[in-house]
Amino acid sequence: MSLTDTAPQARRRDLRIPLAAVLIVVALAAPLIGTRYVTHSLIIALIFMLPAHGLNLLVGYTGLLSLAQAAFFGIGAYTAGLLAVHLNTPFYVNLIAAGLVSGAIALPLGIPALRLRSTSFVMCTLGFVIIGQAISKNWISLTRGDMGLSGIPKPYFELGPLSFAISGTTSFYYLALAVCVIGTLIAWALVRSPAGRNMVAIRENETLAESLGVPTWRYKLIVFMLSAAFAGVGGCLYAHYLTVVSPLTFQMYYSTTMLIIVLGGGAGMISGTVLGSLLFVGLTEALRVAPELRMIAYGFCLLVLVFWFKKGLAPLINRFWNAIGGSK
Amino acid sequence: MTQTLTRRMLCISTAILSIAGVAPSLTARAYAADTIKLGIVAPMSGPNARYGGFSMHGAELAVKEINDAGGINGQKIELFNADSQGTPVEGVSATRRLIDQDGVDFIIGDVSSSVTLAMQPVAEDAEVLLLNAASSNPKITYQAGVGGFKWTYRNYPTDENRALVVAKYAAEQRGFTKFSVLSVDSDYGRSAITFTKKYLPDFKGEILSEDYYKEGEVDFRSVLAKIRDNGAQAIIMYGLADTTPIVARQMLELGLAGKVVLIGNGEFNTEKTIKSAPKAMEGAVEAAAWLPQYDSPASKAFVEKFTTTYKEAPNNHAYVHWDTVNLLAQAIKEAGTSDKNKVREALSKIKYTSPVGEVTFDDHNQARLPMILLQIEDGKPSIKGAYTAEIQYPAN
Amino acid sequence: MFSTIIEQVINGIVTGSVYAIVAVGMTMIFGVLRAINFAHGEYYMLGTFGAWFAIDYLGLSYEASIVVAVLSTTVVAYVVGQLVMRRMVGAPAESGVLATLGIALILQNTVIFVFGGGYKFFAGGYIEPVSILGFSLAQQRIIILVVCLLVFIGLELMVTYSRLGMAMRAVSQNIQCCGVVGIDVPQVVLRTFVLGAALASLSGVLTAPVNVSVYGGMGELITFKTLPIIIMGGLGNVRGTFYAAMILGIAESLVATYIGLQFRDTVGFATLILMLMWRPHGLFSTQARF
Repeated sequence: MSLTDTAPQARRRDLRIPLAAVLIVVALAAPLIGTRYVTHSLIIALIFMLPAHGLNLLVGYTGLLSLAQAAFFGIGAYTAGLLAVHLNTPFYVNLIAAGLVSGAIALPLGIPALRLRSTSFVMCTLGFVIIGQAISKNWISLTRGDMGLSGIPKPYFELGPLSFAISGTTSFYYLALAVCVIGTLIAWALVRSPAGRNMVAIRENETLAESLGVPTWRYKLIVFMLSAAFAGVGGCLYAHYLTVVSPLTFQMYYSTTMLIIVLGGGAGMISGTVLGSLLFVGLTEALRVAPELRMIAYGFCLLVLVFWFKKGLAPLINRFWNAIGGSK
Repeated sequence: MTQTLTRRMLCISTAILSIAGVAPSLTARAYAADTIKLGIVAPMSGPNARYGGFSMHGAELAVKEINDAGGINGQKIELFNADSQGTPVEGVSATRRLIDQDGVDFIIGDVSSSVTLAMQPVAEDAEVLLLNAASSNPKITYQAGVGGFKWTYRNYPTDENRALVVAKYAAEQRGFTKFSVLSVDSDYGRSAITFTKKYLPDFKGEILSEDYYKEGEVDFRSVLAKIRDNGAQAIIMYGLADTTPIVARQMLELGLAGKVVLIGNGEFNTEKTIKSAPKAMEGAVEAAAWLPQYDSPASKAFVEKFTTTYKEAPNNHAYVHWDTVNLLAQAIKEAGTSDKNKVREALSKIKYTSPVGEVTFDDHNQARLPMILLQIEDGKPSIKGAYTAEIQYPAN
Repeated sequence: MFSTIIEQVINGIVTGSVYAIVAVGMTMIFGVLRAINFAHGEYYMLGTFGAWFAIDYLGLSYEASIVVAVLSTTVVAYVVGQLVMRRMVGAPAESGVLATLGIALILQNTVIFVFGGGYKFFAGGYIEPVSILGFSLAQQRIIILVVCLLVFIGLELMVTYSRLGMAMRAVSQNIQCCGVVGIDVPQVVLRTFVLGAALASLSGVLTAPVNVSVYGGMGELITFKTLPIIIMGGLGNVRGTFYAAMILGIAESLVATYIGLQFRDTVGFATLILMLMWRPHGLFSTQARF
C-alpha cells in the first residue's frame, strides 16, 4: 500500500496492455502449446467458470452465501442433455434453453429461500441440491434415473445452410472459451452498471439500501435467478463435454468447488473468479502426482486459503495490476 | 522499492508458470518404451474409496505377480493409478492424464457406471484400450464394439443375466412366488430390478413392495418391518457388499431371519457377511461372478496371496480387477507385442481361462462370463451351478 | 396397522437418538462460533474407527474400545481446535464453511490413507434382539436410547449450572461483552468444540455394532443428516435439537415405510424447507440458547 506514498519514480512503461495481449495470445494458443490433458483441464476450468461467475454475483456482490449452484448446474445439464438426445437441437438452442430453464426454476425456489437469514438460507440452498438429486434419481420417465443420459451428441451449429459440428478437444476448448468470454463480459457489464452498485449496497447494508430506495427484494431475486442461469449454461457445457449426465451432477461437491473458486479467487471481483477457476483446476490436477494424498493436500490448501488469504487472491491481483500499470 | 520487487516477482512467476506449463509436455514424450503402461482409474478418496481401495489392491497384486514371473514377452508392466472420486468429471480428468501425461496404452476402470460412460469417448478418441471390470450398466456395452466404441471392453457380467438366473432359481427350485425388493438406488440396483420384473411373470412371481436404499444407508428397520408384514417369501436384493451385513443383522433384529431369505447379489457368500448374522443369511441365493470359496487352485491361491499381502480378505472388486489384469496380460502375450492395435485384435478373439471358467468376448465387446449361482447352506456357500448366457442387444 | 405405526415411531426415536447426540455437539459449536461445522460427522467416523482399531488390532473388549475411541477423538479434536477452530472466532461465515470443509477432507482422507479405503466390519457390541412391548429391538439400540437421554440431561445440567456452561451461554449471546468481562472466548470455543467432537465420537461407537460397516467416508452422510436438525432445532438450542432430531427420526421412519426408502435422505432437507416456509427462524427459538 506504500505504492501511492513513494516519491515519483522514473517513468515506467504501462505493462497492462502488453500483458493483456500476452494473456489473449496464451488463451488462444493454449491447445496448440499444451498436451490434450492441459486442454482438457482448461475446459474443466471453463465449465466451472460460468457457475462461479453466477455465484460471485450472489456471494461477492449481493452478500448471499448459496450452495445451490450444483442444483442449477444439474438442471442446466439435464435440460441440454435431454434436448440434444431427444430433439437433436443445435448447441446454441441447448445453451439458451439451459440458462432459461435454470433461471426460471430459480424463481419459485428463490421466493421462499430469500426470505431466510444467513445460516438458514445456506442450508435451504443446500437442500435444493439434495432434493434435486432425489428428483433426478426418481423421475425415471424423464431423466432415466440412475442409468443417466449417455451418448449426448457433439454440439453442432446450424447457421442458415451452413451446419458444422464441434468435435475434438481443441475445438471444444474454443467453443467453451467463446461462451465463457461472453459470460464474463455479461457479468462484468452487470457489476459495472448501476445495478451492480445497488447489489454492493445490499451486501454492505441491506436496510440502508432499502431506505435509499433500492428495491432490495427484487434485486436479490433477480440476482438469484441470474446466478442460476449462469450455472445452467455451465451445465450445458458440462453435458456436451462429458456426454453423460447422471444424478451425480447434483452433488454438494460441485457447489463447494464453485464456492472455493469464488472465495479463493476473491469474492466481489470478476477477474478473481476467472483466476480462481484456473487456479482451482490447476491445483486439483497438480495434486494428482500423489493420488492417495491428493485430497488431504487439498484440505490443507483450503486451510491456507482461509488463514493466509482471507480475501482470496483479489488483493494480490489488484496490487499486481496497479504495479504493472507503471508509476503513479 | 515495493514496485521493483513486484516487477521482479512478475518476471519470476511468469518464468515458473511457463516452465510448469512446458515441463509436463516434455516428460510425457520422454517415456520409455520398454514397459507396458497400464493405468487404473478408481475412486481413491472420499466415500467411494471403499470400493476403489479393493480395486487398486487387486490390480497391484496381479501386476506384481506378472512382473515377478518375468513380465509379458519380456516386458514388465508399469502401473499408474488415478483417482476418479467416483465422479464423471474427475474420472475423465484422470483418464486424460493417464493417456497424455503418463502415456498409458491400457486403462482399467472405473467402478461407477456413469464415470465409465464418460470415459468411453475419451478412450475412443485417443485409441486407448479401456477395460471395464466393475460397472454393470448395460449401456456400456450396448454402445461398444459393433455398437460404436471399438476400444471399450467389459470383463464383468451385466445385470440382465444375473437377474434371469436368480429369478429362475428362486421360482423353480425354491418355489417362491411373493417377493419384496430392497436394492441399492444406483443404476446397478435399479436395472437388475427392471430385468427381474421382465422375467418374473414367466415364473408366476409377483413383487409386493419395492424400495431402494441410498449408498451408505444404515437403517433398514422400517422397510424390513413392512416386508415382515406383507408376507413376502424372499427379498430381492441387488445391493452393495458393505450393506448386506447391516440388512442381515436388522433382519435378525426384527425376527425375519429364517422366515424370509435374501436373493440377488451383494457378497452374501463371504465369511464375514455370513458370520455377522448366520441365521439371516441361511438359505440366501446369490448369482456372483466369483466367490472367495470357489474351489479352483488359481482362485484359492489368489485369496491366500491377497490376504497375506493386504491383511484383509479380498472381495469381488479385488478379484475382478486382478482377473482383468491377467486377462489383459494374456491378450498381450497372444498378440506377441504390446502394440495396442494388435492387443485389441487379440482381445476380441481371446479364449481366456479365468479361475472360474472360460471367458470370450461377443461382438459388443462384452465378456461372456460364467456366472455362479450359490446358496448359503449351513453357514457355507454351496455352488448350485454355473451359467453363461448370450445377451440380447436391443436393435437400433 | 396401528401397531405398525407405533413400531415405526419407536424406530424413529432410536434413529433420532443417534442424530441427536451428533447434532447437539454441532449446534453447541454453532452457538459459540456462529460457524456451521461441515467436519462434524468426521468425528463420528473417527470414533467408529477408533473402536474398530481397538477391537481388531488391540484385542480390547467393546467397553474398553468406547474409552479408546472417545479419548483418541478428543485428542484429534483438541489439536484441530487449537490450530483451527480457536482462530475462527469472529470470522465470516464463508471462512467457516471453507475451513471446516478442509478439515473434513483432511480427516476423512487421512483415515483412508492410513487404514485403507476398503470397508471394515465392526465386530463388537450387543446385537442380540430383545422384545419390549411386543416390538423387537437390538440391545444396542436400547443402550443408545438410554445414553442419549443421559447425555441430554447431563448437558442441560452443565449448561445451566457449570462454569463452562455459563460461559458458553454468555459467548453465544455476545462475544464482545465476554471479552470485556474477562471470559477467554477462544478457550470456551475450544472446550465446546472438543466436547461436541467427543459426543459425536461417542455416538459413532454406540451405533457401530448395529451399523456394522466402517469406512472412511461414513462421516459425510451423518453431517448431512444433522445439518437440517440443527437448523430446525434453532441454532444453538440444546433442547430444541433434541426434539428436532426426534421429529426427523420419526419422519424418516414413516417415509421409509409408507413412501419408499429411496426418499429417506431427502426427508431432512424437505422437512427443513417446509418448516422454514412456515417459521423462518426455526421451530425452536434461537433466543433461548442452550
